[in-house]
Amino acid sequence: MSETSVRADATQAKGGEAMIFCEGVDKFFGEFQALADINLQVGNTEVVVVIGPSGSGKSTLIRCINRLEKHDRGRIIVDGVEMSDDVRNIQEIRKETGMVFQQFNLFPHMTVLENITLGPRQVRRWNKRKAEDLATEMLERVKIPEQAGKYPGQLSGGQQQRVAIARALAMQPKVMLFDEPTSALDPEMIKEVLDVMEELAGSGMTMIVVTHEMGFARAVADRVVFMAEGQIVEVGTPEHFFTDPQEERTKLFLSQIL
Amino acid sequence: MTAGPIQTRTEEPLPLPEAETPPERRLPPGMWVRENLFNSPLNTVLTIVFGLLIAWVVFRATRFVFVTGRWQVIEQNLTNFMVGRFPRDELYRPWIAIYLAAGAAGVGTALYARTRPPVPWTVTLRRASPALLGLVVILSLSRTWLPAALTVGGFAVGAAGRLLGNRLPERARRLLPLVGLATVLLAYVAFTGFGGVGWDNWGGLLLTLFVAVAGIVLSFPFGVLLALGRRSSFPAVRVICVGYIELIRGVPLITLIFIGALVLGFFLPPGMTRPGLTMRALVAIILFAAAYIAEIVRGGLQSVPKGQTEAAKAIGLSPVKTTMRIVLPQALRNVIPALVGQFISLFKDTSLLGAISLLEILGVSQAVLAQQEFLGQRVQAEALVFASFLYWVACYSMSRASQRLEQRLGVGER
Repeated sequence: MSETSVRADATQAKGGEAMIFCEGVDKFFGEFQALADINLQVGNTEVVVVIGPSGSGKSTLIRCINRLEKHDRGRIIVDGVEMSDDVRNIQEIRKETGMVFQQFNLFPHMTVLENITLGPRQVRRWNKRKAEDLATEMLERVKIPEQAGKYPGQLSGGQQQRVAIARALAMQPKVMLFDEPTSALDPEMIKEVLDVMEELAGSGMTMIVVTHEMGFARAVADRVVFMAEGQIVEVGTPEHFFTDPQEERTKLFLSQIL
Repeated sequence: MTAGPIQTRTEEPLPLPEAETPPERRLPPGMWVRENLFNSPLNTVLTIVFGLLIAWVVFRATRFVFVTGRWQVIEQNLTNFMVGRFPRDELYRPWIAIYLAAGAAGVGTALYARTRPPVPWTVTLRRASPALLGLVVILSLSRTWLPAALTVGGFAVGAAGRLLGNRLPERARRLLPLVGLATVLLAYVAFTGFGGVGWDNWGGLLLTLFVAVAGIVLSFPFGVLLALGRRSSFPAVRVICVGYIELIRGVPLITLIFIGALVLGFFLPPGMTRPGLTMRALVAIILFAAAYIAEIVRGGLQSVPKGQTEAAKAIGLSPVKTTMRIVLPQALRNVIPALVGQFISLFKDTSLLGAISLLEILGVSQAVLAQQEFLGQRVQAEALVFASFLYWVACYSMSRASQRLEQRLGVGER
């Protein structure tokens, strides 16, 4: 199997329609090229895990998908809407994509409930009652309904990250982007967050997850993407990936972390 | 019985380490004095020297306040200190305004208190103590009973407002901002309406309070806008804001006040009536304070982590809503101490109005020295001490209020 054929096949979405479509995406920070010719399709309900050494462009890739970073070349299409400089387009895409950050980024001056209802009330223009009902539902989904009245500073890291997931879910997105969601957590709290993510994946959410949790990748991912130096090096199913990697770069990386 | 070289079993259980509470060291007063103040020859000397110094200062100060001070200059001019040249047969107007404010404050605090845990009355008393002290001192200097009686009336109106507020339904709380605005407007009408007295005839504490409060209320939003403008993505807006801030900060306030008072007339189109002196001074103070507030707020804006903006964007909040709901609240909370410091500074800067012959507190304290009876009587100290006291009461109250605000907003600290 030649190198090109591996890439070409594997960057296609597994299902029919593509929820996320990236074509020839380049991104520069000054002189430094953070993303180089990224081609990737993510199908509806698909879970894609992105792995790779630090500085390989994993985070930049998913930050381009909801325009926290502006890509310099190529096309990004999310749920049929092409990312352009038009503010309305950007808002449209951000409504459809939820994002979970490494550092949680909860709003410290608002209670858990206010954190979660902010988006639905301000962006979707729901009334307070409806937004709070949904927020309660989301908190039950991440298994911390009893923390609704607290401030983020009063919660543990794992609880905060679950609130952040609930906040993103409250916008009822079609895609969830996870940017190293467990990297800032104490070891004993990682599982509670991964459990929530696994449940979410099982419910048919389309997800792109940047993570170093290989166990999660193996158990939950439909496909694994390995990135290095701004490029997609190898894409494949978890079995293929962890048992029979093709590229030298991939083998080296896996030997270092497994 | 032979034991190994290392005996691991003991007959009785190992003693637990003592609970590590630091020993209580509460010395009887005599011992405390000996240990802390007279524990070496040097300390003994220092204690005696500074003890004598403090005793002497306290003695002189007390004697000045209660014995030697000739407070007649204040007593005779108390009305001047309060309202300056405000026409004497119109004095019922400030009282109407005070009663309106007292009533509104009663209603407002009653509605507000419901949402918070109850505060014991001793705490309320302690919080209000600087203001109450000021009130008592002012009333004690009055030669008639009328102001005291009217003050008691004011408290009665406040209490009545409180009772009324307690009876209002919960949803009345939404009307609070409206009540506040209405009170300000009505108070203004009480001063100026129906052939009343315009700003330019106000003086003393009234003028100081008016300029300070108006200055704070108006310069704050202006300063926030400047700070936001300085971080704008439009270069033109940025340049204008930076230019304004640096220009104003490069000029002393007194110069701006003089420019407002003396030079402004040249720039206005001919035939246009110049705004009153008070208005021009107020504008100068607002323009000045806004530049400083802008820099304080900019510091606050920079203290909010970038992740906050990103999270707000990621849930689809527009840039305006991101600023209003996420960035500004956190930024302002972080700079409360510096902001209040600026407000206190602004309050005291109103004393510069004296330089353009506006008789605020300090101006009055100087003007009374030129009165026939007090000319050459060496009562400067009394006049200045009283003026300082009035400034101190206001500034100390602001400082304490800021501390409480900080503590309360500290809830949910990250």
